[in-house]
Amino acid sequence: METEKHYVLVCQNVDCLSRGADKLIRQLQERLADCPTCEVKPYMCFGACQDGPNIVLYPERVWYAGVKESDIEDIVQSVKGGPRVARLEEGVDPSLKALIFELLDAGLF
Amino acid sequence: MERILLTSDSGPESFAAYLAQGGYRAWQRVVREGKPEVVLAEVQASGLRGRGGAAFPVGRKWQFAVETPAERKYVVANGGEDEPGSHKDRLLMEHYPHKVLEGLMLASYAIGAREAFLYVNREFTEAIASLERAIAEAQEAGYLGERLFGTDYSLTVRLHRAPTTYVAGEDSAALESLEGKEALPRQKPPYPATHGLYGMPTVVNNVETLANVPAIVARGAAWYRTIGTPDCPGTMLFTTMERVRRPGVYELPFGTPLRYLYEECAGGLADPRPLRAILPGGPSSGFLKPDALDLPLEYQAFREAGSALGCGVMTFYPEGTCLVEEVLRIAEFFAAESCGQCPACQMETQQLVRILQQVRDGKASAALLGTVDRVIQFARGKGFCSLINMPAPPIQSALRLFPEDFQYHLEHGTCPP
Repeated sequence: METEKHYVLVCQNVDCLSRGADKLIRQLQERLADCPTCEVKPYMCFGACQDGPNIVLYPERVWYAGVKESDIEDIVQSVKGGPRVARLEEGVDPSLKALIFELLDAGLF
Repeated sequence: MERILLTSDSGPESFAAYLAQGGYRAWQRVVREGKPEVVLAEVQASGLRGRGGAAFPVGRKWQFAVETPAERKYVVANGGEDEPGSHKDRLLMEHYPHKVLEGLMLASYAIGAREAFLYVNREFTEAIASLERAIAEAQEAGYLGERLFGTDYSLTVRLHRAPTTYVAGEDSAALESLEGKEALPRQKPPYPATHGLYGMPTVVNNVETLANVPAIVARGAAWYRTIGTPDCPGTMLFTTMERVRRPGVYELPFGTPLRYLYEECAGGLADPRPLRAILPGGPSSGFLKPDALDLPLEYQAFREAGSALGCGVMTFYPEGTCLVEEVLRIAEFFAAESCGQCPACQMETQQLVRILQQVRDGKASAALLGTVDRVIQFARGKGFCSLINMPAPPIQSALRLFPEDFQYHLEHGTCPP
C-alpha cells in the first residue's frame, strides 16, 4: 500500500454484490475521480456478508456496513476529510474488524 | 496379504463371480434370521471405522440411528468422491458394485431402513452403469424388493446422480441434494444419524466403508480384527495418482509402513530427484518430510506426526517442488469450493489466497505472512462444515517444515532454484 493514499475498499464478493455493491463501487470511483490521493479498490472479502454491502476506509480504519446508494454522498464527503457517517458504523463484530485492520496494517491490498 | 476389497485379478467383479465367492449369503442369512441387532453387534465388534476421511467408528454411527425413534430411517452410500486425487470409491463402484450394494443393504437391515440410496458423482458414468446393473441383478435374484425371503422386510435401493462440487460430498449436503435442493452443508448438530433425510435418522457411509460390511458379517468381527491393528482393524484403499512410477489404488492392511506403499506398490517417484515432501491425506492434511516413510499407515501415527490419513489420497513431491506454489494451489482450491453460506469461511479462504499470492510475488512482508495464523485462528469452527478448518494443516505445516521456500519468495518474488 502506498503511504498518503486514502483507500476506499469496496467488497465485491457474492453477497455484497447481490446487495448492489457493483453500483456502489462505480459511483464511488466516479465521485472520487477528482481526488488524486483517493483510490477506490475492490476487495474480497471482509467476512461480514450478513451486514453488507461493506466498505472500509484505510488508513482511517473506518468500516461502513449496510451501505445504500443514498449513502454515497456522505461517504464521499467522509473520504475527503468530512465527518464520519456514524449511522453506517454500527453492527459489525469488533473482533472481525480488528482482524481486517491487522491484515491491512500488515500490507494486504 | 489377504485382500478384502480388491479381490479380482481380472477386471470388474460380475454378479456370478460375487455369488461364487459367497456373495449375498450373509444377506440371505441375516434377513431370514430376523435379528438386525446381530448385524449391528458384529459391525461394532469389528471396530470398522469410516473411510470417507473422518474415520468415525461405524458401529457407533449406526447405533445413533438405531436409538432414535422414527417412523422411517435411511441409509446413504456416499459415492461423491469429491476429494481431489481420490479414485478408490470410483474403482469400487465400477469394479465391485455388489460389495458396495450388499454392504448398503446390510447397513439398511441393521438400522431398520427400508429405503436406501447410492449417492454417486454424476460424472462417474461407468460407476453409475455398473451400480444400476447390480441393483437390477439383485432385484431379479430376489435380494431386493418386497417381503424378502418370505419375511415382512422390504428394501428399495435408488441411485441418485450427485453434483460435482467439493461440498456436495459432505454428508449433510448429500442429504440436501437427495431432498431435491442445492447440495449445501447443513448446520450441525443435529447430525444425520439422528436427524437426516427429511429429518429422519439417516446413516451416511462412504462407499469403501460399506464395501467392508459383507465380509465382516459373513466371516465375523474376530476374523476382521486379525487384519490391521487393534486401533485400526482391516485394510484401507490408498490412492496415489501423480508423480509416481505406478499410479493406482492400493489395498493395504493398516499398520503397513508408508515406505511399502511408496516403494513397493507405487515404485517411488518417476522423477530422478529425491523425495522432498509428502501430503498423505489430500489437500486438508499436513505436509510431512521423507522421514514419514517409516510411519505405519494408521490414523494415530499420522495424527501424532502432525498430519492425517484422511481418505488415503497420497501425494509425493520431489526436490525442486516449491511449497509456496503448492500451498497457494491448495488455498485457491478451498476458496473456489467454499460454498458461500458462512461469511467466516468466505473471508478466510479468500484472504489466505490473497496473502499467499502477495508472498509468492514478493509483495509481502514477514508480518503479512504471519497474519496467516491469525486468519486461520479467527475462522476456526465458525462454519457449517469442516471446509473452514481445512486450509490450516497444509499451510501451517508447510510454513513450519519448509520456511526456506517462503523466505525465498518474500525476498525474491520467485521460486527457489
